[in-house]
Amino acid sequence: MPMTEPTPVQMFHMEEKSRQYHSGGFFLKIALLLLFLLVPFLFPSFKTVDLAIQIIIFGALVASFDILLGYTGILSFGHGMFFGLGAYCMAFLLGKYGMPSYSNLLLGFAFAAAVSAVLALLISLLTLRVKAIFFSMITLAIAELAIVLFTKLSGLTGGEDGISFMTPGIFNASFSMGDFMGIEITGKIITYYFILLCCVALFLAMLRFTKSPLGRVLQAIRDNAQRAEALGNKTFVYQSISITFGCVVAALIGALYAMWMEYVNPESSLGVMTIMLDVLLMVIIGGMGTLYGGIIGAAFLKITQTFLPDLQSLAQDMFPQAELLHNILERWLLLFGILFILVVIFFPKGVIGSLQERRYQKKKN
Amino acid sequence: MADTILRRWNQEITIAGIAILFLLPLLAIQPKTYLTLTIAGLAMGMLLFLVASGVSIIFGLMDVLNFAHGALFAWGAYVGFSVFQTLMKWVVADSILQNLAVFCIAMVAAMVTVGLLGVILERVIVRRVYGNHLFQILITFGTTIVLVELIRVFWGPNDEVMTVPRTFSGNWDIMDVIVSRYRIICILLGGVVYGLIQLILKKTKLGTIVRAGVEDRDMVQAMGHNIYLLFTGVFAVGAGLAALGGLSMSIFSLQVYPDMGGTYLLFAFIVVIIGGLGSVTGSLVGALIVGLSYNYVAYLVPWAAAGVNVLIMIIILLIRPTGLFQK
Repeated sequence: MPMTEPTPVQMFHMEEKSRQYHSGGFFLKIALLLLFLLVPFLFPSFKTVDLAIQIIIFGALVASFDILLGYTGILSFGHGMFFGLGAYCMAFLLGKYGMPSYSNLLLGFAFAAAVSAVLALLISLLTLRVKAIFFSMITLAIAELAIVLFTKLSGLTGGEDGISFMTPGIFNASFSMGDFMGIEITGKIITYYFILLCCVALFLAMLRFTKSPLGRVLQAIRDNAQRAEALGNKTFVYQSISITFGCVVAALIGALYAMWMEYVNPESSLGVMTIMLDVLLMVIIGGMGTLYGGIIGAAFLKITQTFLPDLQSLAQDMFPQAELLHNILERWLLLFGILFILVVIFFPKGVIGSLQERRYQKKKN
Repeated sequence: MADTILRRWNQEITIAGIAILFLLPLLAIQPKTYLTLTIAGLAMGMLLFLVASGVSIIFGLMDVLNFAHGALFAWGAYVGFSVFQTLMKWVVADSILQNLAVFCIAMVAAMVTVGLLGVILERVIVRRVYGNHLFQILITFGTTIVLVELIRVFWGPNDEVMTVPRTFSGNWDIMDVIVSRYRIICILLGGVVYGLIQLILKKTKLGTIVRAGVEDRDMVQAMGHNIYLLFTGVFAVGAGLAALGGLSMSIFSLQVYPDMGGTYLLFAFIVVIIGGLGSVTGSLVGALIVGLSYNYVAYLVPWAAAGVNVLIMIIILLIRPTGLFQK
């Protein structure tokens, strides 16, 4: 059997495989996963568990947004809408138009995926023919329209009051499995592990997606669309597939989020200025095109947001005279906005991206 | 033969087609109501044109999609609001002259303040990301957050009531058709601005350079014109137009609120997608389409009003993806 020279891509794969289980990054990821697994036992208060689940859910959501932004080079303002659509699918099936049962839970996920896939495909077919920036403008318009429709058609969607509902069987808050290591295993904790499991699975699926040949073509299109097209790739088709994939994942995560909250309303589930703003900040802080960056960004933002009221009252106690400080802390969005601009200008690769670049530079030397 | 006529009269045929389309609601609406609605729609369209033309020119010349335009719009409204508050005596006075004077002062103050804001914005922030659409959208979106939050810091987070100058309010009754005075003022204002823009673009040397810049930026630079100065100027003018739009719109809707920019930015985007990015006439026609159809549909099927413009935009994207007036 003749020995053939391995191609550069094969060499890259081989090198990556040999490093896979030895690098520091790998152990860091395992440690992170263990931490999330142990959170309900280490910090049993509802506030911390809620914070952990928010980080998990938003970390995964930001990763799915990163598929669009970092790997396809397309900025969508409708990602929050897809997230909200998933949440509403779940709420409709478990609450308003159905009842809490396992089959309805599964159906909820199926509907979330189907509805978002169709919508994402339609939008990308409409806009990508023209210009990639049209995608941003049109998703913004459609996302706002969705909020208006979900608020106005209150007979169908519960309007501004939203929908509250119950989760079935073992996920229900009143379910209890008895004590384990001194902690009562309630339905909430089972839901926590279920969401963690689903988000890790979705995250691995996204990782696989970006490493696949399809993902490589997408990165080529992002870096130089004309060249990728000249090499015979149908950019339009690839971009549509990637957008649809990212949006379906977002909708599934939205359905999981609804399971945790047991409540949806237009403002908190669909909002452009609420969800999209958070997601954008997270992806920029963590780093575009890294997937893992989402977890860092989500952790940073969610922890800050959770402890901001404490910080405000602390400032009030310590400096009762400083009006300006209180005003600024009250307008924390202003600080986040300035941070956002500064990061985009001076730090466009984000935390993970900068670390990766530094490691790459070190290796080169 | 027919082909040549179609090509030569392309714009005119498009406009005529749209005009005929807008006579259709007459079948369902009484003629007098129809006229009132039409005037309301034209006024709204003219105000949208003020916002959209800025977005369109900035994109055409600088290849920058300015998401912060909505925030500049809101700033214009708030600066005008402050002027109205300080000169309240003139606003409520029953004299056309004093009303007009305060309106003009507010207009100039809003345009100058926001124009300066635009200069700072272009110099400090937008200049760093020329040529990269993704970062332009991100950075101008971040700027929107900061500008809107600054409004909340300076003017407070609540909605405020905008006082209409005394003689601007009220209606005229022309042969049983009720015509609001301020709407006529809006239509005139929009017409004057459109005329001025066209005059400057078509008849002055500066306008010629701007139009040349839209066609080929590098060539204009090679001919020895400072294109970056031009960019700053055009950005400032676009911001000033947004401020004018914001001021007029806040009088139109009788209120100012910090998030007002977002709604109208969306309208502006829909307008420029319909009309074609980079074309001033396209913005005018697109704005009138949006304004008119919004008013007709809001009268006929109130709940569908928010969706009709998105629907029109989708139809236009299907039949003419680059907009009505894009070459």
